[in-house]
Amino acid sequence: MSSRRSRSRASGSSRITDDQIADLVSKLQQLIPEIRSRRSDKASASKVLQETCNYIRNLHREVDDLSHRLSGLLESTDGDSAQAAIIRSLLL
Amino acid sequence: MKSTSPQNPNPLKKKLASRFLKAMKKLSHKISSSPSPPSTAERRRRHRAVRAAAYASMASAVGPRRAWSRALLRKLRSKATATSGRKTARRNPRNIGTRFLGLNELCDVVPGGKAMDSCSLLSETGHYIKCLRAQVQIMREILDSSSSSSSSRIL
Repeated sequence: MSSRRSRSRASGSSRITDDQIADLVSKLQQLIPEIRSRRSDKASASKVLQETCNYIRNLHREVDDLSHRLSGLLESTDGDSAQAAIIRSLLL
Repeated sequence: MKSTSPQNPNPLKKKLASRFLKAMKKLSHKISSSPSPPSTAERRRRHRAVRAAAYASMASAVGPRRAWSRALLRKLRSKATATSGRKTARRNPRNIGTRFLGLNELCDVVPGGKAMDSCSLLSETGHYIKCLRAQVQIMREILDSSSSSSSSRIL
């Protein structure tokens, strides 16, 4: 991270440097729990991207599942208790 | 790293929570005014409405600051007006094919990803993941708090 290869290409953003990509990939690595728990700094970039895709897909699935349950919740509870739950969770 | 303890509330999370809860309130009023036994189609519609509310509150809480939220807002608005045809042709993704194959998958998953270059795609992904995580947490908290209250009523 300290060595900056001075590749002076065209000053426009037509060429993205390796360092930039590596930087962003390492940031992603921090966000994904699976890779972070393995404590390996040198996870390959393609692995990080793959795990990222899987992670996002899992999150989408979770949103889907939770919204399914929430829609059931809306039906079963009456207005007052739902609002009480809402206010309580907002304070959390 | 931001601590996610309840004593230190994330401002983004609060914003997400308030928007999502408002949307849920609106939905619950709509539901309570309709006849009680819902058909399967009606249940499916409500499920989709809740999910759309989740993504809509995510996108509106972040606002036009991020490319993914802009793309999401566009998509949600176009769905609301029920225009099925895609007017804007998808431009070729710049610089994506040059390096990693994984970026092709990633741009499918992140909203608006196909029109971004590699750098923006990666930074947008990070922010998108943060917001998704916060949204999931909020939804879980709502479910937990309501289930705990209802169980105290039943017993």
